[in-house]
Amino acid sequence: MVEVIEESIGKDGRKVIKVAKEYLIAIMKDLKSQGYDHLSLITGIDRKDKLEVVYHLHNMKEDKYLVIKTETLDERVPSLTSLYSSANWDEREQYDLMGIVFEGHPNLKRLFLPESWVGHPLRKNYDLSKVQYINMDENGDDYATFDPGDGW
Amino acid sequence: MLKEDSESANGNKWVELNMGPQHPSMHGVLRLRVKLDGEIVKECEPIIGYLHRNAEKLCELDYYCDATVYFDRMDYVGAMNMEVGYLEAAEKLLDIPPPERAQWIRLIMAELNRIAAHLVWTGAFGLDLGMLTPFFYCFAEREKIQRIFVDISGSRQQLNYMSIGGVYQDINDKIIYDIEQFIDQFPKKLEDINKTFIKNDIFISRNKGMGILEPEVALDYGVTGPMLRASGIDYDIRKKEPYLMYDKVNFDVPVSYKKDNLARYLVRIEEMRQSIKILKQAIKKIPDGPYFNPKAKKPLMIRLRGDGDVYARTESSKGEFGVYLVGDGGVKPYRVRVRSPTFKNLSVAPVLVKDQMIADLIAILGTFDLVFGEIDR
Repeated sequence: MVEVIEESIGKDGRKVIKVAKEYLIAIMKDLKSQGYDHLSLITGIDRKDKLEVVYHLHNMKEDKYLVIKTETLDERVPSLTSLYSSANWDEREQYDLMGIVFEGHPNLKRLFLPESWVGHPLRKNYDLSKVQYINMDENGDDYATFDPGDGW
Repeated sequence: MLKEDSESANGNKWVELNMGPQHPSMHGVLRLRVKLDGEIVKECEPIIGYLHRNAEKLCELDYYCDATVYFDRMDYVGAMNMEVGYLEAAEKLLDIPPPERAQWIRLIMAELNRIAAHLVWTGAFGLDLGMLTPFFYCFAEREKIQRIFVDISGSRQQLNYMSIGGVYQDINDKIIYDIEQFIDQFPKKLEDINKTFIKNDIFISRNKGMGILEPEVALDYGVTGPMLRASGIDYDIRKKEPYLMYDKVNFDVPVSYKKDNLARYLVRIEEMRQSIKILKQAIKKIPDGPYFNPKAKKPLMIRLRGDGDVYARTESSKGEFGVYLVGDGGVKPYRVRVRSPTFKNLSVAPVLVKDQMIADLIAILGTFDLVFGEIDR
């Protein structure tokens, strides 16, 4: 039983379905069996009081497009890597830049930024004036500092 | 950078090898962490982010009309296609349709740039396999397209030619003459370039049957563009969800069912022929009229406000280029999300190169058409 919060047509003419994040895996499984074999894009949007995650699904054979939206208050969303392999890098990217934790992801590391980077740049409260410096310690691991120090 | 690894399978020691980010045969700044059993690749992990600038955040900090600058720098060999992709989304969100003449000009420029991008790929793919000669043929042809771009926009790569509501500058008779000249002489040159590849036994034997990409795997990993069409799935957004004026021109979508490196090469060559076919029709169909929507004139441009969310997809030379634009009613976009085709295409690399020779890894990755401005954004 999947509970749909809202169903509408977006400005670009695509069907949008809003679901609670508890039902996300169930509805995605259902859609995949209906022929939506291509997970095109995962987007995280910072709505200040909550995070919104948007999934663009595509049915290649019948050429149908579907947008699934879900919201989270605690930065946590179930991972879709068990259903779509393309979710792997997309979820890592959204974790890296937006700070959404995808529960059940096998390798949830930062994709673009160094592992020790402080903060998630696409958040609206991210301080752009602060400059970060990435250094390397004896073991080859990186760490971030906020003052230039030696070597910079 | 060799490192002996303790992991061993059937008594052999695996060696860990770091390729890149500054490796002559890596396109851009790709780094691969490869585990080798002798010469056989057992594991491969692409590590990206060396060219990361966070263009999505930069777009949020500027007005809607300024973002084309950042899109030029994504796929820098196919900048016109990137601009088309962004403007498709922005114009839908801001509700400023470009006039018909501007759409035809955009179509012509996008197709010219598709040929230029495929020529860069063809030349670089030859270099990957040790063929130096076709590289010069390809770049000589690309130079003719670059000259046209210099004439219309004033720059060679970061063009910034299109803007919200139309194009920056109208095309004149000289440019139409130049394009016609290019269309006339290019098909013969393309056959010459093609001959240097397919009449080469070494090229054929290194690519035939190599790097098989099954269609189910391709869909699972989100692969699009020529790579998907070379795996036997007939999908081209220009046909299925026509944007600009692609529904008014007649062209075919090349598909191959062989799924290997050679298929990806042949699909791209045929795509160039089809682009010429499109250009031949388009150059005759340009109507008279304005090339710019007056609603988006220069001083008014920064006051454009957008609300709601729009996802627009276009077919760039690499695959499905999508822009998801969210507005909150202000003069700046609230969120810009880019679906870059090569980002998804690269994620399938570990599957393709597993249990192949290390020399073939270069050939297989060569067929991906990687451009790092777009992957790292």
